[in-house]
Amino acid sequence: MSAISTQDLGRRYGSKWALRDCTIEVPEGSVTALVGPNGAGKTTLLQLAVGLTRPSAGEVTVLGLSPRDPALLARVGFVAQEHPLHRGFTVAETMKLGRELNPGWDDALAQERLRRLDLPLDRTVGRLSGGQRAQVALTVALAKRPEVLVLDEPVASLDPLARREFLNALMEAVSETGLTAILSSHIVAELERVCDHLVILAQARAELAGPIDEILAGHRLLTGPRTDAAAVARMHDVIRERHTERQTTLLVRANGHVYDADWELHEIDLEEIVLAYLGYRASRPLTEAVAR
Amino acid sequence: MIWVGWRQQRAEAAIVAAMLAALAVVLLPTGLNVASAFDAGHLSSCTGATASDSCQQAVDQFLVRFSGLGGLVAWLTLLPGLVGTVLAAPLLVSLEQGTHRLDWTQSITRRRWLVTKLGLAALAAVVAAGVLVLLVTWWRTPFVRLQGRMDNSVFDSEGTVVLGYTLFALALCTLVGVLWRRAVPALMVGFAGYFAIRILFDTVVRQHLLTPLQATWSAHGAPPPSAWHAWVLHQFPSDRFGHLASVDIKCAHGPDITTNCATDAAFMHAVYHPASHFWALQGIETAIFGGLALAMLAFAAWWVHERVG
Repeated sequence: MSAISTQDLGRRYGSKWALRDCTIEVPEGSVTALVGPNGAGKTTLLQLAVGLTRPSAGEVTVLGLSPRDPALLARVGFVAQEHPLHRGFTVAETMKLGRELNPGWDDALAQERLRRLDLPLDRTVGRLSGGQRAQVALTVALAKRPEVLVLDEPVASLDPLARREFLNALMEAVSETGLTAILSSHIVAELERVCDHLVILAQARAELAGPIDEILAGHRLLTGPRTDAAAVARMHDVIRERHTERQTTLLVRANGHVYDADWELHEIDLEEIVLAYLGYRASRPLTEAVAR
Repeated sequence: MIWVGWRQQRAEAAIVAAMLAALAVVLLPTGLNVASAFDAGHLSSCTGATASDSCQQAVDQFLVRFSGLGGLVAWLTLLPGLVGTVLAAPLLVSLEQGTHRLDWTQSITRRRWLVTKLGLAALAAVVAAGVLVLLVTWWRTPFVRLQGRMDNSVFDSEGTVVLGYTLFALALCTLVGVLWRRAVPALMVGFAGYFAIRILFDTVVRQHLLTPLQATWSAHGAPPPSAWHAWVLHQFPSDRFGHLASVDIKCAHGPDITTNCATDAAFMHAVYHPASHFWALQGIETAIFGGLALAMLAFAAWWVHERVG
């Protein structure tokens, strides 16, 4: 069963679609990165998944249930963008909030994490550093003992060290409990280390979704003498083409193996694939991309 | 959730408690002072409908001495609105800062969150309004015994209407805030709206809530007993045919109907709410404000439940 499954999911604000025709599956036990530029619909998709907003079109289920189902509340954890916490609460009071509002609260886990992070229990949240606040927010979400953990831009506001510590803590929790995690980011570099699945959103649509190793295996960079890409495009999806005076470089999503003596094949890293997809929208009609 | 709800509005509850405490610090000593002056002037024997000349003098002296203070206490009619506005703040600030998303993604339903937060705010509003009414009513007892309590400046801060006003201000600010999603401007607009509606009730609406009495009496006699401490809406003299007398009228304004306004008039006519209408008017007005408050709170809660992400 999928941890999160969407079918033609869309959300409109006024006349503008923040998310459209989004069909993705997040497998149970996976750690999925949701990547896209600002305004691509990442926050909308995640808020739909945790029931903060309701779909304008299509549907989303989490662990087979509607996100607004009260039975699901205790099974899904959420760390919202900017980690909103009650700024006047102390760290200890924030933990008490978690204990009061969650029947399955794991106080030992919370205390152990706070102790290891060396977080001052009696300090108000407003006086913590950004990294500490993020860790407090993660602690609340983890001590709830969720089966699915949703994190919206958890590391965007953190410096590189705090970012690394946060992701390490997340990985540790995933490996200990086997929970499913989905996190959005517009920074790709760190994610490859943490995630095994990837969803690329651009301009309100899902461009690509799948296991990262399959994505890496399925994409190739072709270089060859300057030529039209039409011949290649008949067989494979050309995500990006670049031409210099003498040379053509194509980034393709290969349907099967690429056998072509005219082209030299190169492997390509994830960040470059993501960047190519984010530029891809401009060159392809919408429906074609979505059908993939 | 009760602890969480309380913790989230502790600061605002403390502000309201501090306002009431500051008020008590002013009202308790001055109230004792007023009460002892009332006793010292033996004014308790002057509270009937007909007063002797010596009584009249003592009453006038007392009223002149404390008129400034009484005028200040009349301003307390603003306080229910202020209390309601302050108590509406925690929910609006939570929505503005996004902390509702933290609460809503724990294991409790939005419905329980809303019921607890709004319920605690309403409870605090009722308690604060109750304390306010008790303080002001006690303070003003001597004045009410002399002048009645039908005048707007008294009626507005006694009885049950204060509960209605406080809840109404809370509800109006909450509704404006959840629709507008900007806490501070919403609170200001809510308070201004509350104040405008209060003025509308004082000047236009309240007098129509019940049918007022009409009375006619000889210009040289005494008004009927029911006019004692009444709220006079209109009062005019006429000649013996009932035609409006075109004379220089020197009628004192106020809650009491003064006789002999016009020396050559044959009759006096008055339209008024007698003192016996006090509780009926209080009840109707409380029901209107309280009912509107509940309707607005229910709509605001529905809006947040369905429309806020």
